[in-house]
Amino acid sequence: MGVVVENLDLFWSGFLRTLLMSVAAGVIALLLGTVLAGFRVSPVPPLRALGTGYVNVVRNTPLTAVFVLVVFGLPQVDLTFQNYVLAAIVALSVYTSAFVCEVVRSGINSVAAGQAEAARALGLTFRQSLGTVVLPQAFRTVVPPLGNVWIALVKNTSIAGGGFAVADIAFYGPSIIRDNPGSALWVFAGVAFFYMVITVPSAIAISRIERRTAIVR
Amino acid sequence: MRITRYAAALAAAGVVLAGCSSEAGDQAEDAAGNTVDVQEDVEFEAGTTMAELAEAGTITVGTKFDQPGFGLVGPDGEPEGFDVEMAKIVAAELGIAPEDIEWVETVSANREPFLQNGQVDMVVATYTINDARKEIIDFAGPYYEAGQDIMVAAGNPLGVTGPESFPDIRTCSVNGSTPAQYVQTNYPDAQLTLFGEYSQCAEALRNGQVDAVTTDNVILTGLVAQSDGDFELVGNAFTEEPYGIGIPKGDDEFRAFINDTLEEAYESGTWADAWDATAGAITDTEAPEPPAVDRY
Amino acid sequence: MTERPAGEPLVRLSGVNKWFGELHVLQDIDLTIDRGEVVVVIGPSGSGKSTLCRTINRLESIENGEITIDGQRLPEEGKELARLRADVGMVFQSFNLFAHKTVLENVTLGPIKVRKQSKADAEKRARELLDRVGVGHQADKVPAQLSGGQQQRVAIARALAMDPKVMLFDEPTSALDPEMINEVLDVMTSLARDGMTMIVVTHEMGFARRAANRVVFMDGGRIVESATPEEFFTNPTSDRAKDFLSKILNH
Ligand SMILES: Nc1ncnc2c1ncn2[C@@H]1O[C@H](COP(=O)(O)OP(=O)(O)O)[C@@H](O)[C@H]1O
Ligand SMILES: [Mg+2]
Repeated sequence: MGVVVENLDLFWSGFLRTLLMSVAAGVIALLLGTVLAGFRVSPVPPLRALGTGYVNVVRNTPLTAVFVLVVFGLPQVDLTFQNYVLAAIVALSVYTSAFVCEVVRSGINSVAAGQAEAARALGLTFRQSLGTVVLPQAFRTVVPPLGNVWIALVKNTSIAGGGFAVADIAFYGPSIIRDNPGSALWVFAGVAFFYMVITVPSAIAISRIERRTAIVR
Repeated sequence: MRITRYAAALAAAGVVLAGCSSEAGDQAEDAAGNTVDVQEDVEFEAGTTMAELAEAGTITVGTKFDQPGFGLVGPDGEPEGFDVEMAKIVAAELGIAPEDIEWVETVSANREPFLQNGQVDMVVATYTINDARKEIIDFAGPYYEAGQDIMVAAGNPLGVTGPESFPDIRTCSVNGSTPAQYVQTNYPDAQLTLFGEYSQCAEALRNGQVDAVTTDNVILTGLVAQSDGDFELVGNAFTEEPYGIGIPKGDDEFRAFINDTLEEAYESGTWADAWDATAGAITDTEAPEPPAVDRY
Repeated sequence: MTERPAGEPLVRLSGVNKWFGELHVLQDIDLTIDRGEVVVVIGPSGSGKSTLCRTINRLESIENGEITIDGQRLPEEGKELARLRADVGMVFQSFNLFAHKTVLENVTLGPIKVRKQSKADAEKRARELLDRVGVGHQADKVPAQLSGGQQQRVAIARALAMDPKVMLFDEPTSALDPEMINEVLDVMTSLARDGMTMIVVTHEMGFARRAANRVVFMDGGRIVESATPEEFFTNPTSDRAKDFLSKILNH
């Protein structure tokens, strides 16, 4: 335990970077995933195909491979990230958005078809009916599964620090262990603790939101 | 994981063809082609680790599975390399044949816990001897002296000469490694990128995302050999990385036994044969002078 | 009430055919509804009445034929279609009020989003309409807090808020408890009296006699008969209409 306390400054700066990556990728993935879900239920066949293709490719690819493709593949087409936090946010957003898409799509499908029909009958465009009628109702049912996606995202950020040059929570473990041989268990316990600082309050908040939105029905 | 018996059978067949049937029984030859003489009728003082292992007829060894030339698991699932040969030499002296060795993958972070928990009997895994580690485990050896070096793009376009170049170049190493620590400690203003694996550093060097990769020269020579002439070694090692065999703390008899075994292997030429068959073959280098073991 | 107002055609279907896979659900439909006319569509279940209604605002597409509203051909999709739909009010059997919005918001959504009215204007008009259909005091509740009859009246107000040229009703009272049917039919009757062009799928004979200019009888995807309510109920010409009427009038 001493080893964690002694390196609290490292853990803390890693924690802030993990939080930054999680929040940034979370926001981007939520927006991108929702747009993709819109594509998947869209009346325009090419958009539907795009959405479906994206989800099937990305969701079935290991996150590490997505990281490799972003960090080492994009430079091949002259898109080099000198800032690996940015590269990690891109990789995590790409990956997580596929899961958000599927969650939101299932939420959309859970909204009675008559709701969208009534909106369209009023003269709302597809985008308007999705945005003002369907998605607001869909988001209530998707709060718990979106919460799962969020918590998975927070933990998935560790791929960035473990292997891809981002100094996050997971990053400092190996060097602290190197400098303190035999401390591995405590260091990993510390690493787990700092992830839980994000995930446990998230889980509590999610169940609160879930309870609050449930009453409105 | 055990070395397959067909390797031994192949060796025996080869020996029969050569007309020397008398030695066939106590020789085993691995795919790399070098030979260890497995002792028969070994005897150790009761209660020692050696006696226990010899009695059990098997030994559990931690090694790297991803280190070309030292410990690399091939498509057949068996590890190969200089570290692997060192373990076979020690095992043979205990009367344990290569195929009776249980191999366990160790990565940098789990070497000490594995030894402390008794999950492995020894660790031979490009394991640099240092004082911090000696406080919780013990080292036999060193059996090899590596040194930290720098790998750059072929032609060395930035004119990297050695560690003094670190402040001016973008350098890649592996997160949590001792070479990374060396740069961080001695060149705090170095631009260091830390990936999880050296193969990723090599990719970053290829893409121009970094200018250099630094770690132990034996690792870099392996990467240079695989690079199709894209990379080269600066060739100016600037640290001493004595590789030792890690064993549980306080087992002085076992440590002395391994040290004796290493010295015998130095003398008999088995050590040099092991080099030639593994790391030497990959990097096309002669066996160096073996380092003196440190009986602290 | 039953004489046909002299007006120019507002909705015109000509040669409309639609299939659901193998099922030829609308067969060579020709139908013209004049401005101010109230047409009741009647027929056995599965005969294609709902589908007919839904093709008029293109909630269902058609395979061939032509549908025009106020002389304008129905656009295929996109903004044009949305604009045209705004002129066609629709009331569903299952109300389909927006579950997450208040009654008032249900009524103001279209005017604000589609007609680009200010919130204040839209709310003022919405309250008038809610008063007119008799649910003005429920404006701030959510749909789930209202009875079925009240919800359907809100749905009518929601459609009216768009100032539609024509209103489509697809069995608006079929999902209601009997004691609530009349409150909805009364609203519809007064709409008809005020000159709204209406296409109403219903089995409420009283409403048809009271408010319709014309009854259209459908069976098997075809329009089998088209007559004034008087003629249709007293003297149906086709056997299928006679058969149908005997069944619904006998219970
Ligand atoms: N979306 C659909 N897909 C396939 N068949 C449908 C669909 N909607 C309706 N149908 C079929 O078309 C026929 C006509 O349906 P509908 O127009 O709802 O009849 P009605 O309203 O007169 O009862 C029925 O056989 C019905 O099963
Ligand atoms: Mg119907």
